[in-house]
Amino acid sequence: MSAVIPRHRVNVLTGIKSAKLIEDAGEYADLIKKAKRPLLVVGPLLLASTADGKFLMEYALDIAKACNIPICATAQTRGKIVELGIQPASLYDVVEIVNALKDPDWQGVKKEGNHDLVMFFGIRSDLGNQGLSTLKHFAPHLKTMTLCKHYFPHANYSLPNFKKDAKWQEFLESLIANLKKGD
Amino acid sequence: MAVAEKKLSKKLEEIQERIKADLPWEPVGPTPMPEIPDLRQWDMRLLKTYEPFYAPFCDLCCFCTYGKCDLTEGRRGACGIDIATQQARFVLVACLMGCSAHAAHGAHILEFLIEKHGPDKKIDLGGSINIEAPNIRTIVGLKPETLGDLQIALEYVFKEIGHLLDSCHTGQEGSALDYESKALHASMLDHVGMEAADIAQIVGFGFPTSVADTPLVDMGWGAIDKTKPVILVSGHNPATSTVVIDYLREHNLEDKVEVCGLCCTALETTRYSDKAKIVGPLSRSLFFMRAGIADVIMTDEQCIRTDTPQEAAKVGSAMIACLDKAMYGLEDASEMDTDEIVRRMVDNKEQFAILDSPKAAEVAVKVAMEIAPLRKKGWVTEAEAIELAKKCTNCKMCEQVCPNLFNIGAGVTEVAKGNFDLIRQQFLQCIGCGKCEEECPNNVPIFKIMQTAASMETWKCRAGRGPVMDTEIRNVGAPITLGTIPGVIAIVGCSNNPNINDIADMVEEFAKRKYIVVLTGCAAMAAGMKKDADGKTVYEKYPPDFDGGGVVNIGSCVANSHISGAAIKIANIFAALPLRANYEVMADYVLNRVGACGVAWGAYSQKAASIGTGFNRLGVPVVLGPHSSKYRRLYLSRKEEADWKVMDARKKEIVDTVEPAPEHLAYVCETKEKAMPMMAKLCIRRNDTPQGRAIKLNHYISLHKKYIGGGLPEDLHLFVRRDADIPLVYKKEVRAHLQEIGWQPREPIGLPTLIGTYPTKVSVDSVIH
Repeated sequence: MSAVIPRHRVNVLTGIKSAKLIEDAGEYADLIKKAKRPLLVVGPLLLASTADGKFLMEYALDIAKACNIPICATAQTRGKIVELGIQPASLYDVVEIVNALKDPDWQGVKKEGNHDLVMFFGIRSDLGNQGLSTLKHFAPHLKTMTLCKHYFPHANYSLPNFKKDAKWQEFLESLIANLKKGD
Repeated sequence: MAVAEKKLSKKLEEIQERIKADLPWEPVGPTPMPEIPDLRQWDMRLLKTYEPFYAPFCDLCCFCTYGKCDLTEGRRGACGIDIATQQARFVLVACLMGCSAHAAHGAHILEFLIEKHGPDKKIDLGGSINIEAPNIRTIVGLKPETLGDLQIALEYVFKEIGHLLDSCHTGQEGSALDYESKALHASMLDHVGMEAADIAQIVGFGFPTSVADTPLVDMGWGAIDKTKPVILVSGHNPATSTVVIDYLREHNLEDKVEVCGLCCTALETTRYSDKAKIVGPLSRSLFFMRAGIADVIMTDEQCIRTDTPQEAAKVGSAMIACLDKAMYGLEDASEMDTDEIVRRMVDNKEQFAILDSPKAAEVAVKVAMEIAPLRKKGWVTEAEAIELAKKCTNCKMCEQVCPNLFNIGAGVTEVAKGNFDLIRQQFLQCIGCGKCEEECPNNVPIFKIMQTAASMETWKCRAGRGPVMDTEIRNVGAPITLGTIPGVIAIVGCSNNPNINDIADMVEEFAKRKYIVVLTGCAAMAAGMKKDADGKTVYEKYPPDFDGGGVVNIGSCVANSHISGAAIKIANIFAALPLRANYEVMADYVLNRVGACGVAWGAYSQKAASIGTGFNRLGVPVVLGPHSSKYRRLYLSRKEEADWKVMDARKKEIVDTVEPAPEHLAYVCETKEKAMPMMAKLCIRRNDTPQGRAIKLNHYISLHKKYIGGGLPEDLHLFVRRDADIPLVYKKEVRAHLQEIGWQPREPIGLPTLIGTYPTKVSVDSVIH
């Protein structure tokens, strides 16, 4: 969903170059599967639980496991990830990983080259959006995607604003199922 | 060429005259009254390791009539500017606003005090402070002896502000790095302006100085006796609030009229009278005004709400604007007859600007005493709140506009059911902007309902004590630079916190670990707004000394200059390095040897931007809370790739230390759990002795394990130089880890300095003491 740009944009241009809004889990899964070196950046909002007692972090780990995606643990998430049986590939904080990602010559968390798709999940929206703005402006070599329940305009691909958490959880479960399907 | 040299020489002569260079207290160093280019090489060296990191808050530039210009995807504006340079320009503008606010505050205070005491009033900060103005001495090259001398320092600041603001005009600077250098320059000047302002206040108002054990003053809504006439002072400039106290004293009314304050004016007023009360930080401003407890509201400058006249009128509080910075369109009654003003305020409920402080004070007291008995003042009861809350449908419109991203509607809905637990928790997160209430389609009076959540408790805040004493610097200089006091944690800034309790939690964590914790401004208030199980605040639990384990309220925003001043004094008093016009040497010393870390967890203002950036130029890293990503710029290193080379001044050799110490200069993180290990890490310095390094690493590891979990910090190996650096308690675990990753020991540097690693007029020998 791009903003509608008026003909004489110089006078009225007000907004930002917006993220493409995607509601179809299959389309999201295809984008992830197409990526050669994806990265999943997880934040502290995933330390909360859903209404039925599942850690949000478990969704992130399931997504990572489905496609063998390396995880960057920001803030204080490392302990919970290790507790859930996964060793994160890196421990940058959110501004640090964004700072590294914007360098096209950076070799990525696995030293195999910079990432081509970076998924952000569980970072508070003001900080997350600012980090995505950095990448939008200074990292044309990669695409960004968000998995949170709100729309992030500075990403390349974002989910819509989910009014109900259950719908968002359905999306995440469907995404995981699609990722597990393989090509 | 000869003409140019002559001009330069003439200019230097003028500077030498202004700084009284013939007074031989120290030889004049290389940069008296530095101009934009003079410290540029130092900035560029810092920015080489700590590169600017931009997070554009807006894709556009709309500064001039060419635009708006879209700066996305590498596009340049009509003037040629790119997105990075536009961000840097914006940062400079913000820093200039901050610097101007403090310098103009200083200029007003000086004008007021010189009128009262004359320009020759001596600066005397008491028997324990000889280096009265370390920033002014270092930057300007002047040793101020009188109030009049402080004006010389401020005139220099204003001249530089003019040049810097000029550079922001469309079609000027074209380099982000040069804009950053200018922002660093503006922010260094801010510390001159702040220092001049606070020295003037201490000298002119008799604020505490050369003392640590200042009074514990009452804080919180419950501390205010609403049965008396209540005068609320709000802002930063105590010219008027101190005159209110004088008037009450002269008329034997001090026990009959309650004076309370919001934001830094509250801190300043309690430095003048321990009977004055602190309402709280800026985040409590709108709540308190809307409660209608204040009979008269007096505003001065900075961080006062721009809708104060409207809010005051809504609840029947009288209102006086006391400074020209914010006159709100009100009639200027400075020359009107006092009795007429009082009559019109009482009878007609008119509001006025009164720029004559004694007149404003007299009017405020008379109006408060007349209207207080007629006004009904009280808090909303829980039963009333339950009724009011029933209008809420929890539509979540409020959440969409909340800067702290929480759904107050959920709390209000619970109140409607008689449950106040959630709203009490949310009150701790609330920054008090009022946007939720403005957005509410059902006009639910959210702030009124939250009155029931707002604790009526009282807390204790230690009155601001001003500069750190020279005697204290002598005692802690060696332990700080050797690392045996693990660091100085300076928690400063505003109240845009993710949670107000974060501040007290951070203070507690570091004070009990024997760091020196210093506080200023709204953070100094927030620190006192949490009690432990025994009902004590951090100010009651920890000593007020500038020593390991001390918790020190330095004062208001302008007192931040005493924190940078303390760092300079360590170099000057402890290390005996000359400071006069010798900024590069001082900053290099602080960067490499003084384990200090600033924390502006709730920074929101342009003043906070300039305070923090000024610390950065001096070599002090700053940790910021998540909202501060909206400042658009950080200074981050890439620890694996950045340039960590230093000159070993004793051997005159450039050495690659590998050590990211400190790792960042301006860093944002999301949670206090992440912030605390980072604060400990940012206190590590290249100069640490093995014993000191082991102490610092002990805290870094233990905080990491406590708050992050999952094992040892992943970058620990970068900070272990030799086995002796490993803390005893983690020896076995760390040795095993280092062996596993193939760590090799390396020699510590004898005398690390950046001088000699970049083009500068300063010689390497000048850092040897």
